[in-house]
Amino acid sequence: MNALLSKFSATDADSEIRTAMDLAEEDGLTDAMWGSQAGFGQLVQGHAFNIPAVPNPTAFLRLHTDDHADPNCKIKIQHGTTTLAFRFQGGVIVAVDSRATAGSYIASGTVKKVIEINPYLLGTMAGGAADCQYWETYLGIQCRLHELRNRERISVAAASKYLSNLVYSYKGMGLSMGTMICGWDKTGPTIFYVDSDGSRLKGDLFSVGSGSTFAYGVLDQGYRWDLTDEEAQELGRRSIYAAGHRDAFSGNTCNLYHVKEDGWRFIGNYDITKMHYDGPGAVPGSLGSGYGYDVRTDNRFSVLPKPVSA
Amino acid sequence: MPDMSAIANPQQRQFNPYAENGGTILAVAGADFTVIAGDTRQSEGYSIQTRYASKVFRLTDRAVLAVNGFAADGNMFVKKVKQRLEWYRHNHAKDMPLRSIARLIQTMLYAQRFFPYYVYNILGGIEEDGTGAVYSFDPVGSYEREACRAAGAAQSLLQPFLDNQIYFKNQTAARGYSHPAHLPLPDVLSIVIDSFTSATERHIEVGDGLEMYIVMAKGQTLPDAVTNLLPEELPSTGDGERVFVLKRDLKKD
Amino acid sequence: MSTAIHLPRSGFDFSNANRNAFLEGKGVKMPKATSTGTTIVGCLFKDGIVLGADTRATAGPIVADKNCEKIHYISESIRCCGAGTAADTEFVTALISSNIELHALSTGRKPRVVTAMTMLKQRLFQYQGHIGAALVLGGVDATGAHLFTIHPHGSTDKLPYVTMGSGSLAAMAVFESGWRPSLEREQALQLVVAAISAGIFNDLGSGSNVDACVITATHTEMLRNYVMPNVRVEKERKYGFRRGTTAWTRENVRDMVVSEESRPIATAASGEAMDTS
Repeated sequence: MNALLSKFSATDADSEIRTAMDLAEEDGLTDAMWGSQAGFGQLVQGHAFNIPAVPNPTAFLRLHTDDHADPNCKIKIQHGTTTLAFRFQGGVIVAVDSRATAGSYIASGTVKKVIEINPYLLGTMAGGAADCQYWETYLGIQCRLHELRNRERISVAAASKYLSNLVYSYKGMGLSMGTMICGWDKTGPTIFYVDSDGSRLKGDLFSVGSGSTFAYGVLDQGYRWDLTDEEAQELGRRSIYAAGHRDAFSGNTCNLYHVKEDGWRFIGNYDITKMHYDGPGAVPGSLGSGYGYDVRTDNRFSVLPKPVSA
Repeated sequence: MPDMSAIANPQQRQFNPYAENGGTILAVAGADFTVIAGDTRQSEGYSIQTRYASKVFRLTDRAVLAVNGFAADGNMFVKKVKQRLEWYRHNHAKDMPLRSIARLIQTMLYAQRFFPYYVYNILGGIEEDGTGAVYSFDPVGSYEREACRAAGAAQSLLQPFLDNQIYFKNQTAARGYSHPAHLPLPDVLSIVIDSFTSATERHIEVGDGLEMYIVMAKGQTLPDAVTNLLPEELPSTGDGERVFVLKRDLKKD
Repeated sequence: MSTAIHLPRSGFDFSNANRNAFLEGKGVKMPKATSTGTTIVGCLFKDGIVLGADTRATAGPIVADKNCEKIHYISESIRCCGAGTAADTEFVTALISSNIELHALSTGRKPRVVTAMTMLKQRLFQYQGHIGAALVLGGVDATGAHLFTIHPHGSTDKLPYVTMGSGSLAAMAVFESGWRPSLEREQALQLVVAAISAGIFNDLGSGSNVDACVITATHTEMLRNYVMPNVRVEKERKYGFRRGTTAWTRENVRDMVVSEESRPIATAASGEAMDTS
């Protein structure tokens, strides 16, 4: 039956996956899935994704999950983000917001959009939350296997290319990822932008997501190569604040990471509303005052009623 | 004369394997306990399919899973998770830890990335360090540990209420005081009950019955205020975590 | 040269109809009207008519009103239950009620149920279903007791027992098994309560309380909230907020009392009296 169907399948990718599905059992349940290898056991041996038995699985998926085309579709995949990363003299700064939206509903305000692949590699999350979480966790496994096989850490270029090749093999199937793979390897601090269309770009400064335009505005005017660590961290925070303030689909809190030669370090979590009124608090690099409210309103009221006389 | 209209006007049919069965689930983590709750109404359109269908299931002595969305997918998913946990028990002679169950659920959901389970999962229980934990999932497996989460039909009614009452969002503490990080069990239970009675009043797909599972950490006993509500204790394997069930009626209109 | 733009001076304004149809075709979501996904019924008994309705109004899956009134006044001995778009049922019954009153005044007779029915169906037919009102019309007049259903497109039925709305099947099941000719008043009322209750409990679009209305030749009795099977349970906690819970950026205390100082002007010294003419 499946062989017959595949004859009429719409695309090559579909038929390829379907062949893989034929090889695996009903759920791809092999001995490797047993016990501690959990679900990943199956992946090492190839595809184990269940595909609906319809002529065009991609169209089926889009029909039920794509909330841009149809706001009434049942399965809502989370979207909307601001993420940024930049390279400078002191390493790499990675800063992200923490909002997940499903349509106009804020599904979560506490999402971890920086994925800690291993102690030297960070990945950011934009697009489908599950796609990023799953494949970057999977990338972590492959990076560890690379270390065991080659007795040395994987380069950022190699890791990002592994991810890029992987998502490219699913091109057209509906994956949605826009990620920055950040790390420090033999060549120094490195950032690669990888997305589900197949793009893979090396660069000094990236911002991804619906709030990226707002972040770029602040980032570009404040960016220099010879930024100090404190200045760079403040720039990352300030950029995410700007996006959180102006983009409805970004906000809640900012997570800040700093990658140095000895691996990444989590700098802190900052409430964006608090940054607007009071600033990020007593942290290095901060001015110690609010980013938005005071500078816009201090002593500038159209009507200032006289204080009560005693 | 044969009917030629089918040839002249080709008709398109669509494969639509999903339905929406209403209802709402909710979980709140405390310092050393977790409450996982769900209503028991299952509906489609304006019809009630049953007034008693559980959406909350005990997985192990310290893990409880709530499922919501398409009931057929939900029941099948719980069945498969339970099967995998049993295999784990046979292989390792112990229950799978909570955070591992969370990761297992992610991989099981993501395996269906191109033919998703239409299910929103909330996993609640006790971590290996004895703290209460809630994990919430989207239909294709992205997950996050949280202190409280509502999902399902009345999600948008309940989550803002929980944000305000559990996380104290938009509430400034009195000078010199701070909000507690975790609420005691009796407070959590009354907030959960009030959540469901309110959702029942204002959402047509919520009602009939309420099932609340309470997972207590090792060595913890129920406070008197909760024992007085006469919860049923589910049989557990030994002196570890304990699971209790509290049932309440909800309005049936 | 100027051209006069002729706009209808009364009635519905259709100027956005084409635009909205176009937008809807493009997938833009239109605002939802509150609909009374409803159970409404009526049945004949020995001395007249009993009408019944639930009291839930919904907007999608959300309960918009827990205790709305769906039995509308047409005249003293004619009442009309409405299901469908809440605004449409309300306005179309109010309009016909008004016209019936004028008609009664001009003829000097008590209005007849058929008159109201004809006016309603003509109105609904004129608007080709765009007035989303599904009605149960009942009353007693000089020719006896009459009970009608009127569908949104204008078709009508005359039957001894009728149901409408999303709970109509649940309610009709009760009528089909329980209705007999020439029921007593109390029996008919209990049957209507049972029919509405079936809708309240088995149809998600219906809920809350039972309203009933008993119409006889001599008297009409509106039994608002005749049965209340879904009273609100008391909450476990009190949700008051301490003073000072809401954060603020600026404090500004103003004295609301206007203080005024008055000083008498010495007029006697100048010797001139104020001109008050």
